[in-house]
Order: sequence, then C-alpha cells, then structure tokens
Amino acid sequence: MLCHSHDNTFINYTKAPVVKKVKTIEEINQKIKDGDAVVITAGEMTRIVQENGAGKAAKEVDVVTTGTFGAMCSSGAFFNFGHSDPPIKMSRTYLNGVEAYSGVAAVDAYIGAAQPHHNPDIGFDYGGAHVLEDLVRGNEVELVAEAFGTDCYPRTEVNTFISLENLNQAVMVNPRNCYQNYAVATNSTEETLYTYMGTLLPQMGNVSYSSAGELSPLLNDPYFQTIGVGTQIFLCGGRGYIMGQGTQHATDGERKNGVPTESAGTLMLQGDLKKMDSNYLRGATMPKYGPTLYVGAGIPIPILNEEIAQRTGISDHEISCKIYDYGVPRRDRPIIQETNYHELKTGKITIDGNEVQTSPLSSFKKALEIAEELKTWIEKGEFLLTNPVKSIPNKGCTVNPLEIRRPSIMVKDIKIKPVITVKAEEAISGVARKMVDNNINHLPVVDHPGRLMGIVTSWDIAHAVAKGSKKLTEVMTKKVIVAMEDDPVEVIARRIDKHEISGMPIVDRENLVKGMITAEDISRLMCSQNNKEGDSQ
Amino acid sequence: MKAWLKFSPRIVNKHVISDLIKTYDVTFNILRADITPKGGKMLIEISGSEAEEGIKYMEKEGIQLNPIKKVVKKDEDKCVDCGECVSLCPVEAIKIDENWTVLLDDQKCIGCGFCTSSCPTKAIKIAY
Ligand code: SF4
Ligand code: SF4
Repeated sequence: MLCHSHDNTFINYTKAPVVKKVKTIEEINQKIKDGDAVVITAGEMTRIVQENGAGKAAKEVDVVTTGTFGAMCSSGAFFNFGHSDPPIKMSRTYLNGVEAYSGVAAVDAYIGAAQPHHNPDIGFDYGGAHVLEDLVRGNEVELVAEAFGTDCYPRTEVNTFISLENLNQAVMVNPRNCYQNYAVATNSTEETLYTYMGTLLPQMGNVSYSSAGELSPLLNDPYFQTIGVGTQIFLCGGRGYIMGQGTQHATDGERKNGVPTESAGTLMLQGDLKKMDSNYLRGATMPKYGPTLYVGAGIPIPILNEEIAQRTGISDHEISCKIYDYGVPRRDRPIIQETNYHELKTGKITIDGNEVQTSPLSSFKKALEIAEELKTWIEKGEFLLTNPVKSIPNKGCTVNPLEIRRPSIMVKDIKIKPVITVKAEEAISGVARKMVDNNINHLPVVDHPGRLMGIVTSWDIAHAVAKGSKKLTEVMTKKVIVAMEDDPVEVIARRIDKHEISGMPIVDRENLVKGMITAEDISRLMCSQNNKEGDSQ
Repeated sequence: MKAWLKFSPRIVNKHVISDLIKTYDVTFNILRADITPKGGKMLIEISGSEAEEGIKYMEKEGIQLNPIKKVVKKDEDKCVDCGECVSLCPVEAIKIDENWTVLLDDQKCIGCGFCTSSCPTKAIKIAY
C-alpha cells in the first residue's frame, strides 16, 4: 500500500468543502452528559435527511450511529499468558490445537482468526476465530507450548488450561476491518465454488454480497471527516478504538454519490477481549475456504455540519457496487454488472434476464442491533465522542499488486506432446486400438473441424464392449473439464486436484482441441523450475 | 404430507406410483429421490382427497412409508442471521423477514442439505 499524504491531518480538512461548523464534538459531549443529545441510527438518518433536508438534520441531530456485523478474516488477538515456574520462552504455541504466533516476547502470542486447526481432520471446522469465541464465552482453552530452552528460560514445554479471566492481557487487534464497500460475487462456471464469499452456485445460480450498505460505518463518512485515529467505537459488545487505516486501505477508486463503488477504505481496530460479548463476536467457517470471525463494529458519527449530515443521509439506492465473476480465479475478475444495495437487499436480482437470489453474508439484523446498542450507550451518557488524534488519509492511497518475480506459466507455454483425438463417428474397436497403440487411457472426442465434443476413457470403452454399444457418442463423457490456453498452470493443478483426474484437454477460444495437459506434465514443470532455481543460488 | 418412501429392489421395476396416481385422487410430488438397482428412497409430498387411501395402497404394495414432521432444524442460538443460506435454497424455503431475521419454513423444505453444508456457524441440521 502506498500513501502519499502521510501527514495530512491538515490537508484533509482544508480540502473538504468549507462548511460552517454547526457544532463541535465538545458541545455534543456536553449535551450527552446533560442527557440532551439527539442520537439516531444511520438508517433513521437516511429517512430524516430525505424528508427534512440535510440543513435541518444537521441542526437537529447530534450523533448518527452505524453498525456492521460481518465475516472479517483479518482479525485476531494478542495474549499475555504470564510466566510459569521455571519460565519458558514459547516458540510454538497452540490454543485448543490452533497455532498462535509466538515470535513476540516469551509469553505473548497472537492468534489469527483465519488460522485452521493444526489437525487436518479438524482443519477448517475449528480455527482461531472459534478459539476467540470460546474465550469470550468464558470457556477454558487448552494451551500447549514448546520452546528450545535457554539459560534464562529453561522450560521446554507447557501443557495447561487458560481462561479469559486469568490472562494478563487479551487484546483484540484486527489489521483490516470495516471495508468501506466490497465486491459482490457470482459464478459463471459449471461447478459450485466455495469461496470467502460463501457457496456460489454454478451458472450464476446465486449472488452474495457482504456490505451492510447504508448502515455501514465507512459509507457514512466516506472522506474520513470524523472517523480517525483514536476514535472510540463499539467493538464486539465492548469499547474499541481505531488504530488507524487498515491494511489494503485505498482511497482513489471510482466513487458515485461520494462513496466508493468497490472495496476502498479499511480500519485497523483494537479492543479489550475481556469486555466483549459473544452475541457480537462469532467463530465461523466458510465451507471449504476456512475459519473466519464475525465481528460486530459500530462507529458514532458526530454531526458537526450540513455536509456530514448529508453524507450520513446516504441510502442503499445511492450505494453502487459491482458483481464480479468469481468463476475466474484471477486477481482481476471480470465484472458482470453494476447494482446497488437497495436492489441486493430485495433478495432477488436480474442477471442476463434471469432472476437470481441474493445472500447478504453480513447480518443486517445484528448491524441494526449494534447501531441501536451504541445509540443507547450514548443516550445514557455512558459513551462520549472523541476527537481523532490524527486523520485517516482520504486520498493518495492505492493498493499495489504483488508482482511475482517468477511469473505464472501459462498452459500455452508448456511443451505438450501432439494430441491424439478420435472423431465422433469412429468405431469402438478403432478407438480401443488407438488407446493400446499409444499407451494412453483417455482420448478427446472431436467433430470435423476439431472442436471438443467429449472425452472417452478405456473404462468407457470396456463398458461399451460389454453392453454392445456401437456409438462413441453414447459412451463418452460429454461434460469435460478443460484447460484454456491462457490459464495459469497453478489453476490447472488446482483443477486436477479438485476433480481427482489425471489430465484434461486444452482448448482455445473456439473450443478447438490443442493438446492434453496431465498431472505428470505439471510435476515435470515444477521439478525443472526448482532445479533452475537451485542452480542460480 | 411429506414422507420418505423406502423401496425394496423388487418394487423399483413396478408401476406403483403411476398406478397410484391413476387410481386415486392424489397430488403426488417427488421432492428428492435416491434410487439404485438395490432399491432406494424418495422424499415425497402427497395430498388430495384420497391421500389416506393412496398411502394404504402404497403400503400394501410393499413400500415403507415414514412420515416426516421436520426436515431441517435451525438452532436459533447459533444462527447469526447472516443470510448465506437464503440464496442456496432451491425451493425458497428460507426467507429474510422485514426485521432481517432469517426464517426457515420447514413445510417447504425438501431436505436437500445445501443450507446445512454452507452455514458458516453450522446452525442448520437435517433432522429425519
Ligand atoms: S447461513 Fe446459518 S447463520 Fe447464516 S442465516 Fe443461515 S442458518 Fe443463520
Ligand atoms: S435443506 Fe435444502 S430445501 Fe431445506 S431449507 Fe435447506 S436448502 Fe432449503
């Protein structure tokens, strides 16, 4: 990530349109203490601004509360376990079987929400996120640690139980939460995909999205005019603070109605795990993707002037987002179409003339509960607003891709043996001979111009002979898993693995068969790559 | 009424279901079927004025009938109302109400299991 304007506390405010301050945070806090503050949720603010206009809303409303409750993989917590006697300097640490990073001081560790269980049989079903939920629920958690042993820390292993209560510190630190907006997912391929956006049915059978729309914190303050470093927030039922911009924070993407139309700003958050409530923090597993933590966050926005009022008045209609095809497992996924949160929240959306059901992935029910809860805290005078210590950049931040020094090898770059195919009308006996002569057990079946029609294996041929079938088209498999010439080899390796096949035909854009790629070709390639690397070192 | 029908291999080749529909005034809907040469099971919904008689007929023909009350069960404490399951249900048995609560209509459910395997908090279980 690059941020060109590091110290732009000043710049931000001067660049924002000059609007006369109606109130200050100090004045609002005084009202909160007096029990006079007008606090409403972001959803209510949208209606008020629509009905009365931003000017009037700015005068009447003091604070708008936002909320989100979504799966946020980039979460975790630091622990300090305390010293044992004799003491240990932990080098490998496991909590209920989930590894925590302990390369930080002797008895400190960080557990990441997305870390799977170290036992592959449990794997994704119980991960770092589940450990966090267990701790917050007050459950005991097994701590296993190993160490090398040193003169000052002689112990080499620990095996005990801990609970949140007896940890010295348990601090949630989430490197990237509260995405300002996010991609919407669908899948154009023929197979079901399991992604961090949930289960995506084949042939664009469903659509999933994850932003809370008009309730979402950073969509209500899209230029970080009030949300900044040090802002006190609601975090998983307790109080948390904004540490600064999150990882992958981006500011310069496309905007509509002032808000980004794709993933943009992010926040790094921290809060005391000991004060959290399992109602607003849940361990979860995205099927065949991995563990993730449902994090509940709510941010209060002080309505200091008309512009801020206007921005918190944003409605789901006005927040655009893009549906991407997750069937293409590349960094730049194709955009299918643009939509908005109003449309998505109706539960159905039309793609290519077909009605498709949508899934939110983040809970609006909980997001609303969070906004309401924060509102209650402020109304009761238990929660005061904070002036940011420093502002979060609202321009000049872009996310750079990771360029791999050794670029992906494409299917078309591999030396492939000339392909042997059979024509659809060839006799079964002829096909059998071709297999035996060439010592292969599957052959692509093609039409006259050489377009792929199916694939036939030696097993299919045996079956055909046993059943007396004469036609190749009757016994071949018509649904063929193929490799495109411009697919990276890694993608093909994953496909071979997933479908438990030994190889697949390579086709071009016209579906003409160009060759076969096998697991063997790929392993040979990997070997030669590794040898080359070994030479140069 | 929804029920699982269990067949023995002998019955797979007989026309019990078509005879049933011809003879009795019943509406018969196959929600799910796993049939192999070794027999099989089928999840059906049967209604109509002569449903009772129809059921007796099937039993007489050797089909085992196990009525079901609930096909899936959602654990409300585990569910976080995320809505992931909603778009996966082929019969639209899962809906989000006006308060954004996710509701599962077990009358509509056909027990396909898509939602159970995809729920991030494992809140839905198939209950036969
Ligand atoms: S996917 Fe699971 S947690 Fe989410 S709404 Fe459905 S049942 Fe509830
Ligand atoms: S089991 Fe299938 S039919 Fe039943 S609610 Fe779940 S997805 Fe719908």
